[in-house]
Amino acid sequence: MRFRLRRRDGALRGLVRRPISERVTERPAQVAGVYLRGSLQLRHVDVGSCNGCEVEIASAFAPHYDAAQYGIRLVASPRHADGLLVTGVVTHNMEGPLRQTLAALAEPSVVVACGDCAVNGGIFSDAHAVVGTLSDYVTPDVTIVGCPPHPRDIVAALRSLGGR
Amino acid sequence: MVWYLLALAFGAAAALAGVVLPRHGRVAVSMALGASSCALALVASVQELVCGVAWTVHVTQLLPFSGVTLSLDPLAALFVALTAMVGLAACVYFLGYAHGPTASRSGVSVFMLFVLALLVVPAAANVMGFLFAWELMALSSLVLILSEQATRPRARSAALWYAAMTQAGAVSIVLGLLLVASSAPGQDFAQLAAGAAHLSAAQRSLAFALTLVGFASKAGAVPLHVWLPKAHPEAPSPVSALMSSSMVTMGVYGILRVGEGLLHGGNLWWWVAVAALGVLSAVYGSLHATTARDFKRLLAYSTIDVMGLVLTGVGAAGVLYDTGQREDARLALMASLLLLVAHAAFKGSLFLVAGSVERATGTRNLDRLGGLVHTMPTTTCLVVIGAAAIMALPTLSGFSSEWLLLQGLLHGFADSSTPAVIVMLLGVVALALTGGLGAVAFVKVVGIGFLGQARSEGAATAVEVSRWMRLAAGLLAVPSVVLGLAPGLVVNTLSRAASAALGVGAASPVARGTGLLLSHLSGDIAPLELLVAVVAVLAALLGANRALVQRRARRVAAWGCGREEQTPRMQYTATSFAEPLQRVFSDVLRPQTDVEVTHAVESRYFQESVTYSQHIADVVEVRSYRPLISLVMRLGEGARRLHNGSIHRYLAFGFVALLVVVVVLS
Repeated sequence: MRFRLRRRDGALRGLVRRPISERVTERPAQVAGVYLRGSLQLRHVDVGSCNGCEVEIASAFAPHYDAAQYGIRLVASPRHADGLLVTGVVTHNMEGPLRQTLAALAEPSVVVACGDCAVNGGIFSDAHAVVGTLSDYVTPDVTIVGCPPHPRDIVAALRSLGGR
Repeated sequence: MVWYLLALAFGAAAALAGVVLPRHGRVAVSMALGASSCALALVASVQELVCGVAWTVHVTQLLPFSGVTLSLDPLAALFVALTAMVGLAACVYFLGYAHGPTASRSGVSVFMLFVLALLVVPAAANVMGFLFAWELMALSSLVLILSEQATRPRARSAALWYAAMTQAGAVSIVLGLLLVASSAPGQDFAQLAAGAAHLSAAQRSLAFALTLVGFASKAGAVPLHVWLPKAHPEAPSPVSALMSSSMVTMGVYGILRVGEGLLHGGNLWWWVAVAALGVLSAVYGSLHATTARDFKRLLAYSTIDVMGLVLTGVGAAGVLYDTGQREDARLALMASLLLLVAHAAFKGSLFLVAGSVERATGTRNLDRLGGLVHTMPTTTCLVVIGAAAIMALPTLSGFSSEWLLLQGLLHGFADSSTPAVIVMLLGVVALALTGGLGAVAFVKVVGIGFLGQARSEGAATAVEVSRWMRLAAGLLAVPSVVLGLAPGLVVNTLSRAASAALGVGAASPVARGTGLLLSHLSGDIAPLELLVAVVAVLAALLGANRALVQRRARRVAAWGCGREEQTPRMQYTATSFAEPLQRVFSDVLRPQTDVEVTHAVESRYFQESVTYSQHIADVVEVRSYRPLISLVMRLGEGARRLHNGSIHRYLAFGFVALLVVVVVLS
């Protein structure tokens, strides 16, 4: 059973019912540093990665490189997050969840593309289940190149957003 | 007096119109006459409440052998006013609701007879008249429960339970009243009151106990409440509203009239018993309301809850009166009467809304509703007002009445005896507990039933109901707001009614503007000023938000971890919302849960389907009534063996009976 949200005319139209909007892709300038102020909560989304970038991200948050000392943290829900940390090339099955996650982010927010796959498709750009790269859905604020990127580079890129 | 008799005449004309007229104009004419009858009765009762002087009239032609004495004093006038208010709204609602079997000759005329009987019961002032009106009320409501049995499979069983319990109660009331009347020169209540002095204390206690059984059953006191959650949901909605708002209050009226009016207060322990019944009903009713899934069954249990609070107040008033604290007794009784009036308004409104929802969506099951705020906005507004009133939120009528009751309970026991202190403690505990549980129940109703998204096709395709049905529920929402914002307006009339019940002089807590000021207890509320202040602050905040915040909000679907197949059935249901409380109180509620697993044919390691079912039956019914019924059935089966068809045995029975009668008589 699947019920779609129906739109009806009613007395409280305008108060209760506004059309569902797409994500605003123009973000206010100067998001970094001004709004985030040393605290960057990120939600990680793997849209089709080989998990190489995930291993490097795990190392970036591990005691040696320790991104947490700069106020950077991974959170469970995009509703709690200041931004998304996206790895991997956009695959057919994860396209819908990516759209939903982008819609669930509250303004102001940032998007970080981590790894060559997220930046330009990398070595999987011609694979059979791939429908695009992150840039086809949203313009990332920060890109971290590398396949996989070094944890040092990941931490440096995230620090440039948070300001610490 | 003239207004009241005119109201009765209009009511009779409405019933007649229901029988005589063809289907085309039947409902409109009959309801117009019925609404006029209720309006006239409201005028009559308000006039009586304002001027405070009782009138009596004796009509010999209405009943053979004894006639009917009608008398309105302020107490009776309050109950007539309550009934007329709900009756007016029910008649208006009926205009939009009637279809098929409810608009038949019997449906319309018996409905008007029910309203008429409800208007007569408080005013009946002799035994025969009272019993006649009482039975008319019971029988007409029985017929009305059965009027929609074609579409309601449980109506017959509900009607059977209702008939049995109401008749048992009526028998008990008859015995009690006859006992009181045995020492009186005539049948009028005034004569009974005068003659009660000649009864011994034991006789008076017995009479009170007998009438208490009948009246408490009608008021829905646990453990005599079992008919209420069965009968109220199965009746058509205007009838349910009348039953829940007016008919149950006749039980309280009876207790007050017989206990205080006829028997002059009597023993302290009577009122402790009434208060104990009240506390038990309040807690039990609110627990079941919290875990109920059927909208109308939830409202029925909520009626038991509020009637329990009213009975607690009445019991406290009786205890205080017997220990000599007259002013405090009057205050407690005033609080109970205010709670009765407030309950009539908001419960009537809620039942009418429940009927609208059932008509629009085809279901009463809260687990299958939702999203009605988009398709039925007016009805949602009305249910929010009703729910806020019953949760006793400030500035609405439930708050004023429960505040007054709490004040009466807390401060009325300054230097009192042990039973009084016990009653006070239990009453305060009951108020606190039922306040919390009632809030859960009605947040569930509004949040799960009306907000969110539709959980079934019926709820998704609902359309707003006709304007008569909305108007009727709106009519009853008005007193909820007015009594909450300006309780000071009615405090004098309530004081007169309470004084008439207790037989004391009428001084009262002072009305300060529209608020209440209890001078000798240093407690006061000013709801109108509070509302103005809250609205002003909110307006200032919203204005500041609009002026300073530039962002426009986006509207997106709820975050579900990126699920593709997110359906409205993944929301909370009423059952899951109440589940923590059900687990905490599982010893009282005793839910029966069943998990049924169907394995795949090929292998027991794989499951084809898992079904979870849960049912909360009324514990009192299961543990007390069903064993009693099966005992009676077994006795009946045993007695059947005496009827073996032999004429010789039957002749022998007759001969033995004749011998016994001759021996006894001689």
